[in-house]
Amino acid sequence: MRKSALIDRRACLKGLGVSLALPLMDSMGWADTAKGQAYKPPVRLGFMYMPHGVIMDQFWPADAENFLSSPLPAFESLRPVLDQCLVMKGISGVPIAPFNGAPHALELSTWLTATLPAADKRSEIHISISADQIAANHVGAFTALPSLELATMPQNWKENQEGLNEGYYSHCSYRSPTQVVPAEINPRNVFNRLFREPERNGDGREATRANALDRSLLDIVLGGARDLRRTLPSSDQRKLDEYLDSVRSVERRIAAIEYRQKEAALEKAGVRASKRHASDSPPIEIKIPEGDKRSEYMQVMCDLNVLAFQTDTTRVSTYIGSRPNGASYPELGFSDQHHSQTHHQNRPGMVAKVAKITEFNIAQFAYMVKKMHGLREADGTLLDNCIMMWGSGLEDGNEHTRENLPFVVAGSGGGAIKTGRYLPDTKGNQGDLLTTLLACAGIPLDRPVGIATKQFEEIKA
Amino acid sequence: MALSNRIRGVSKAPVFLGLFLILCLAGPRGARAETGGADYAELKADAEAFFSDRVTPFIQTYCISCHQNRRPTQAGVNFSPALKDPSHAAFHDQWKRGVAKVKAHDMPPQGAPQPSDADREMFSDWIAKLKYLSEKDPGRFVIRRLTKTEYGNTLRDLFGVEPSIADGLPDEVSGEGYLNSLSPLQLEHYLTIADQVLDRIVAPEDAAPTEVQKRLFGEPAAPESGSREAARDIARSLAKKAYRRPPTEAELDVLVEAFELGRQNDLGYEPSLHLMLKGILVSPQFLFITPAGEVESSTGIVPLDGYQLASRLSYLLWATMPDDELMALADSGTLHEPEILEAQVKRLLMDRRSRALFDGFGAQWLGVGRLENQVFDPAVFPQMTPEMREAMYDEARLFFESIVRENRSVINFVDGDYTYLNETLASIYGLEETVAGPEMRRVQLSDGNRGGVLGMPGVLAATSFPNRTSAVKRGVWVLEQVLGDHVPSAPPNVPALEEQDQGTVANLSLRERTELHRTNAVCANCHQLLDPIGFGLENFDAIGRWRDRDGNGEEIDAAGELPGGERFSGPEDLKAIIAGRSDDLARNLVEKLLAYALGRRLEGYDEIVVDELMQVIAGDGYRMQTLVNAVVSSYPFTHRRIEEERSSNEKERSD
Repeated sequence: MRKSALIDRRACLKGLGVSLALPLMDSMGWADTAKGQAYKPPVRLGFMYMPHGVIMDQFWPADAENFLSSPLPAFESLRPVLDQCLVMKGISGVPIAPFNGAPHALELSTWLTATLPAADKRSEIHISISADQIAANHVGAFTALPSLELATMPQNWKENQEGLNEGYYSHCSYRSPTQVVPAEINPRNVFNRLFREPERNGDGREATRANALDRSLLDIVLGGARDLRRTLPSSDQRKLDEYLDSVRSVERRIAAIEYRQKEAALEKAGVRASKRHASDSPPIEIKIPEGDKRSEYMQVMCDLNVLAFQTDTTRVSTYIGSRPNGASYPELGFSDQHHSQTHHQNRPGMVAKVAKITEFNIAQFAYMVKKMHGLREADGTLLDNCIMMWGSGLEDGNEHTRENLPFVVAGSGGGAIKTGRYLPDTKGNQGDLLTTLLACAGIPLDRPVGIATKQFEEIKA
Repeated sequence: MALSNRIRGVSKAPVFLGLFLILCLAGPRGARAETGGADYAELKADAEAFFSDRVTPFIQTYCISCHQNRRPTQAGVNFSPALKDPSHAAFHDQWKRGVAKVKAHDMPPQGAPQPSDADREMFSDWIAKLKYLSEKDPGRFVIRRLTKTEYGNTLRDLFGVEPSIADGLPDEVSGEGYLNSLSPLQLEHYLTIADQVLDRIVAPEDAAPTEVQKRLFGEPAAPESGSREAARDIARSLAKKAYRRPPTEAELDVLVEAFELGRQNDLGYEPSLHLMLKGILVSPQFLFITPAGEVESSTGIVPLDGYQLASRLSYLLWATMPDDELMALADSGTLHEPEILEAQVKRLLMDRRSRALFDGFGAQWLGVGRLENQVFDPAVFPQMTPEMREAMYDEARLFFESIVRENRSVINFVDGDYTYLNETLASIYGLEETVAGPEMRRVQLSDGNRGGVLGMPGVLAATSFPNRTSAVKRGVWVLEQVLGDHVPSAPPNVPALEEQDQGTVANLSLRERTELHRTNAVCANCHQLLDPIGFGLENFDAIGRWRDRDGNGEEIDAAGELPGGERFSGPEDLKAIIAGRSDDLARNLVEKLLAYALGRRLEGYDEIVVDELMQVIAGDGYRMQTLVNAVVSSYPFTHRRIEEERSSNEKERSD
């Protein structure tokens, strides 16, 4: 049997403060201060997911006027930052016909793609690039990691709905129509990935040398892979393209790490390479929880997300807070599965449990954005420069409806979004929303996301 | 087939469509007996004629006006391309759904011209002939990446490291529908793991080389004596192992280049070899199972080369690379020969590494893989400790392995009269007096209710709720996993009786409550099939203990009747009825194993393949090794179709 992933989580990371007391990479893409302008931090884009929808009358605010002054219990945790949030009702999901029997396989996979899988290739992965990966394609080159993918649970849920590939169940990020992006579930691995060349000891110079060697080695291997590719039939070539793409991406990442190491060396030598604002908050500390309490575990993942944004290690993240099916919340005092409770038939006991689970998930999101709000960056806070979207792929889990998908957006994306509002009558679909958010993050789009037909001008500042 | 055919007879009322439809889908299975010895070409010709004379006019008269090449197509159904190429896998589901809709009088819609009952029946029965339209075809096959498990095991076999070295890789779904893509995250892990492997196998500087080092790189050479040529020879032997086929000269050039890279960076001879090995471990030839030579035609059907076959076989049964014996047979080009292949299947199955077949396939099939992380209410079932869960998993594993290694009939999966217990698990059976100690050992069972997977605690627990049993889940499990029927999910807006309003039904027993299903036409179709089976197992509580009364103190009534009229009074009878469906049992296992082996769903021509395999398997008393051997030597397992991607499709999607 597979050993529980929890064992690693219990480990504690040490010496973190030291390794992170580094300047950040503003010179790699932050606004050009050479011309003497004030620097403008980049916009970061984050997505956090909860499956199975909400209890509608306990989620949708009663009216726009009292949204800020008297939030529903679901939003209580967001109260301190509610003026930085935007809630929209009226955004529909992708209609799922002809996959009517696959509501759960599609809730997560359509969430950031706003597209249905190809019906004639349903047993394979064949959908479209997701919004986060579109963003990563544009801003990923500026950071050590093009994007960060996190999840709370392993992405190996097996359930066949409408003959769809099981991967659709637990993945929201797609690098291309055929390539899923797996998520990390182990905080220690996430940390290593963000900030250290894993398992590489020794002084900085040695690490730089090893990195350079890795990069050259990958170059050689890449050449060999191209040779191999030429001998393969075209369907195999496709498969190999994923490999080639991944190698190139890792090479670029190693280059970014090398760059950071050089910067650090300069800093050490007294040459101030950083152009960061002197008053910016220092990097937050990460503590890996000892137990396996869900909230603590989700919060360390949120912390890592915050840290990655704060240090500009990446500008795009997704966090699958919980997966469709197979999840329960013992911490809330009941062992029932989230999914079975959502088919509540309006029975009060079950409705209350679903509301509690929703509240819990929003509270984890609130934890993250409140933390961002508490960090100074340039003239404002880190949250000011983020667009954090929280949402679900169903409106009502009981009936599997997708008429008004629940979305909360926190952060104004550097002033692009007018927050502190509830828009009860937004008319459009989830593709429109994703397209709008990408545009607000400054991502140039050559075409809209999925089924989008427009942007929501009303959410913009 | 028997169960689902029967249900058709009783469902005349307008009912919830999806349930009805999909239960009917098992229909084509009903035709399987016809293939016995029949001439396939004749059947194909007959099917083609029938399609053009009867089916095509039917579609053209009743369907095409809405479902044709025009956007938007009605309900995403388009018969224009399907009429031209009816057997194409892409249209399979569409045909099946279409037939089901017509059969249920759901299509053509009200107001449109309606076919006669005879025509409707003709169209419904036609689906059984669909498979004969398929060309002989092993199915699409694309090079695939090693799974996380395979990757870890392969490193173990190559370097003697613990497979857990791969634990950091992202989790993945394996088997049918295997998620076979590669992302930067994985590649980063591969690079890191390559470093870790080298750290473990390379002795510190100035220390004597490890045994693994000597085996891989030969005796240490004097620092200056190590030449490019020597490196190339080492590359040749390393790559043949790691790539699981002889490397090409061009591939050796690349590896020597990696070696040279080390030299240029002032690494010594040995460290440069290590760098070369690292290059091997992040190469696609290691991470993917690739063909040994260039494929001649750019499209068509080719047999797998011997090395690919060796890998496919070895990764199926052992979840690791081929060993020396398999590689030698690949070298000699004889692995394809039926007797040799069969002997290898037997050898691999008898080896303890074939445990991988249970961990990868059997555990998923029986559902016990999820036990480890399944939630049980600790207040109700404090017995479900990690030790108990492990014992339950091991019981299923040892039982599965006994059927494999002793070459028993697969019917024993249901009617076996022995099991494997340790002291912990014996308490579930009430046998704690007779079994002591933590080791699992074989135990002969005298209680006819026990034995076989239907009375196995791991299976019973895996199909339960955290605090009680679920007759519905167990019924679904038996139908889908044991008999191979497909049961659709309940529609979202239909009350889940498992979660019924406590107020109105407080005075009813669970059985009475569940029986409400059957008073509701929407639910009745499936539940009159599911519920009796589930209730037949109600004497087993949510963790598999025998009980005569349920949680509320009500006496258990495990008697029931299946829709066809077969009656049973409890688990023992039910087991006998299910075991009697030997053909369904065996066919289900063949289909599941073949899909797992191919890493894809079965479709089109595969149905004919399964028909043929069933002849062989039934002819040998449904023995397990015969079954595995039939799958391994089957046409789709030993061949591959390679094709140019259909670019028109791509274009369509990007519009």
